[in-house]
Amino acid sequence: MADSAQSHSLGAGHDAGSRRDFLVIAANALVGVGAACVAWPLIKSMNPAADVLAAGAPVDIDISSVQPGQQIVVLWRSRPIFIVHRTPDELTKLQTDADRALLRDPDSDNLQQPPYAKNAYRSVKPEYLVLVGICTHLGCIPNFVPAPGGSLGASWPGGYFCPCHGSRYDLAGRVFSGVPAPLNLPVPPYHFVSDTTVRIGENPPDSTFDFGSIEQI
Amino acid sequence: MALPQNKIVRWIDRRLPVFTFLDHELNQYPTPRNLNYWWNFGSLAGIMLVIMIVTGIFLAMQYTPHVDYAFNSVERIMRDVDYGWLMRYIHMNGASFFFIVTYIHIFRGLYYGSYKEPRELLWILGVVILLLMMATAFMGYVLPWGQMSFWGATVITNLFSAFPGIGNDIVTWLWGGFAIGNPTLNRFYALHYLLPFVIVAVVGLHLVALHQHGSNNPLGIDRKGPQDSIPFHPYYTYKDMFGLSVFLIIFALFVFYAPNFLGDPQNYIPANPLQTPPEIVPEWYFLPFYAILRSIPNKLFGVCAMFGSILVLFIVPWLDTSKVRSSYFRPVYKWVFWLLVIDAFVLGWVGAHRPEGWFVVIGRIGTFYYYLHFLILMPFIGWFERPLPLPPSIAEAVLGKGGGTLPGAAAAREKP
Amino acid sequence: MNARSGLLIAAFLVATPALAQTPPASPPAAVPAADADVMPALPKVPWSFDGPFGTFDRAALQRGFQIYNEVCSNCHSMNLLSYRDLSALGYSEDQIKAIAAQKEVTDGPNDQGEMFQRPALPADHFVAPFANEKAARAANNGALPPDLSVIIKARDGGADYVHGILTGFTAPPAGFPMSDNMQYDLYFPGYQIAMPPPLADNTVSFADGTQPLLDEEARDVTTFLTWASEPTMEERKRTGAKVVIFLLAMTGVLYGAKRRVWSKLH
Repeated sequence: MADSAQSHSLGAGHDAGSRRDFLVIAANALVGVGAACVAWPLIKSMNPAADVLAAGAPVDIDISSVQPGQQIVVLWRSRPIFIVHRTPDELTKLQTDADRALLRDPDSDNLQQPPYAKNAYRSVKPEYLVLVGICTHLGCIPNFVPAPGGSLGASWPGGYFCPCHGSRYDLAGRVFSGVPAPLNLPVPPYHFVSDTTVRIGENPPDSTFDFGSIEQI
Repeated sequence: MALPQNKIVRWIDRRLPVFTFLDHELNQYPTPRNLNYWWNFGSLAGIMLVIMIVTGIFLAMQYTPHVDYAFNSVERIMRDVDYGWLMRYIHMNGASFFFIVTYIHIFRGLYYGSYKEPRELLWILGVVILLLMMATAFMGYVLPWGQMSFWGATVITNLFSAFPGIGNDIVTWLWGGFAIGNPTLNRFYALHYLLPFVIVAVVGLHLVALHQHGSNNPLGIDRKGPQDSIPFHPYYTYKDMFGLSVFLIIFALFVFYAPNFLGDPQNYIPANPLQTPPEIVPEWYFLPFYAILRSIPNKLFGVCAMFGSILVLFIVPWLDTSKVRSSYFRPVYKWVFWLLVIDAFVLGWVGAHRPEGWFVVIGRIGTFYYYLHFLILMPFIGWFERPLPLPPSIAEAVLGKGGGTLPGAAAAREKP
Repeated sequence: MNARSGLLIAAFLVATPALAQTPPASPPAAVPAADADVMPALPKVPWSFDGPFGTFDRAALQRGFQIYNEVCSNCHSMNLLSYRDLSALGYSEDQIKAIAAQKEVTDGPNDQGEMFQRPALPADHFVAPFANEKAARAANNGALPPDLSVIIKARDGGADYVHGILTGFTAPPAGFPMSDNMQYDLYFPGYQIAMPPPLADNTVSFADGTQPLLDEEARDVTTFLTWASEPTMEERKRTGAKVVIFLLAMTGVLYGAKRRVWSKLH
């Protein structure tokens, strides 16, 4: 049962208007600011918490027992990191025109690595390759297939083969043309704290590379 | 109907009349012009419900409902999660403040007779909301898995064993085990997440019931015409916002400067099933009921007295026989009401102490008075009291005789 | 009843107890009262973190951590803190790495499937002195030294209580029945505590040259424990100031707006 009450709209009645409107507008503005200030911490709380960030700190890996031609896989920030001890033969092959002709981005022009890894070997030291082992197509972990030829064909130089959709990479993590993956495998920030220990997740002292700036993991 | 000309608004409104609905419920809904600040507490309770749900959801993103991880996950929220300490303290103190505003809202209803015809169902829905709040708060307090969480839950769930025959089976069923443990914690978490949304639904019904006949008012007399009422918006929207702001200052003082004042230090000790704390005390908002429970030396009757103290609220509309709503015009009941308020505080104080010595006696007197008030005093005072004469209308009481010079009344005579 | 004054009274009643300073207690009785239920009043210590504008004294925190590390951590765990949290005390990353590396953590399994020990990292939680509760009890005559992560919040009296315990060890009065392996402490409920006095003058020596007298040591370690119980306390109070000031301003403006809106009726 609705009594018909008079409808008061705030717009009507401009007498004594400006001071009242100012107060009302100021009130609404403050309430809006207040609401935003309440929403902000709630949204921020979903950011990675301090313990999660700490767990993503750099890890030191002892590579003294990695034989030439061998790969080990470690975890950094919950992602697989490939560390490969490349042989001199493998290193030579990386420079040849035959190998480069197969590749989509042989000079690593796309930003998928720190500046200190933008070279022919995509690494700090030629004999050790460090990659983020996540296929740049849809995120599977590629298989390490260092031996040339074999079931992947006579022109297979050795490298990585992703079982999910067939993307291929060479032994510097560079992606082949004509495969679904668009980009080279990323190189994480890393440097050698000693000859036998590599620290994944930290730049060398003279570099300030932000890993978040690469095109895509 | 003052609908904006905006095309988009009209397109939506034709298909789902939200804007017409809001215009009707806010701009056109007639509210008594004489509501005082005791009428702010309903909207405050609604806002506290929203605050609890929002902080609760964000806390739920970080909490782990397992006996081995629960306590530590709460401390992780306090230390490692950005603003986790803020959400936790708001949620923790928010429960207390939700009860403060709700209790004041209830006492407002008792004083002004807001439960009387035609608002009986409105009142009953409110008591349902109170029961749901109590269940939600009880289960929520278990989640941090402190000493008081565990032992308070043990004591209260053990109450159900009082029921003859099936009591022990009920308790085992509640626990999901031989004692409070992981199954209990998990189901309390699930239910604690669910019940607030049930509360939202019942609050919706509560508002529908309210809008049927509109709010009561301090004089307790019906609105007789348009001069007695004003639209809810902008008058009560602004008044409610102002009241909310004052309330938030007090809330903020607790959250930021005394966040553990209303809590129990024992709950910062991880739950230990092998060690009972020296005193098991529920949170302050349960203390009066705890006192009633312990005032009766028999387990089953103590449980009945405690549940009865809430069940009696359901029949208040029929217990009160007065023809007059507001205690403003009830010279005898006006003072008796305050006895109930004092009784509630006394029972709360008793509940906080061990049941020894004078506390037992006072607790029993308090329990006796509680039931006396509802079952005897309310009906009898209603029958025998001579109320003061009621004013002819709200407008006349508020504005003085005539009331014709007011722009409101004049405008009311024009067609909207 | 005037609603406005009613609300003010309610606000006053609610807010005042929380904010009122408790009056200073009388000095502790040297001998407890004959009635064992009446404990001597806990002496109130003026802490740097008291009150709405309180902060932690960084130097005291570092000294307190040193005491925890050298003395308390031999029996008491602090499982909820990580070494990286110590950056709030003013330690550098390298200092924290060094502090962490003093302790060893079980990690693994390695490629042989075995668990192994390694130095702790900043991301690790504080290493506990005992592997589990039973080991702790076995080493302490059946008593369990409680974890100290939230000890200040877990005790009535908070910082004053912990400080009181640490400085309250005295000889029991004549004729007081002491149980085996217990110590007499003025402020522990029941007067008997299983912990032997952990601190005395010169228990540690402070790098910053502060005199390590018992009361100073007790105050510093209590300051550290208070920080450990709630590392975000300073942020809480700072944010509180901003929030309350904003709310006061908003309340003023809303009051004005409400009066303006309602003036159409009066």
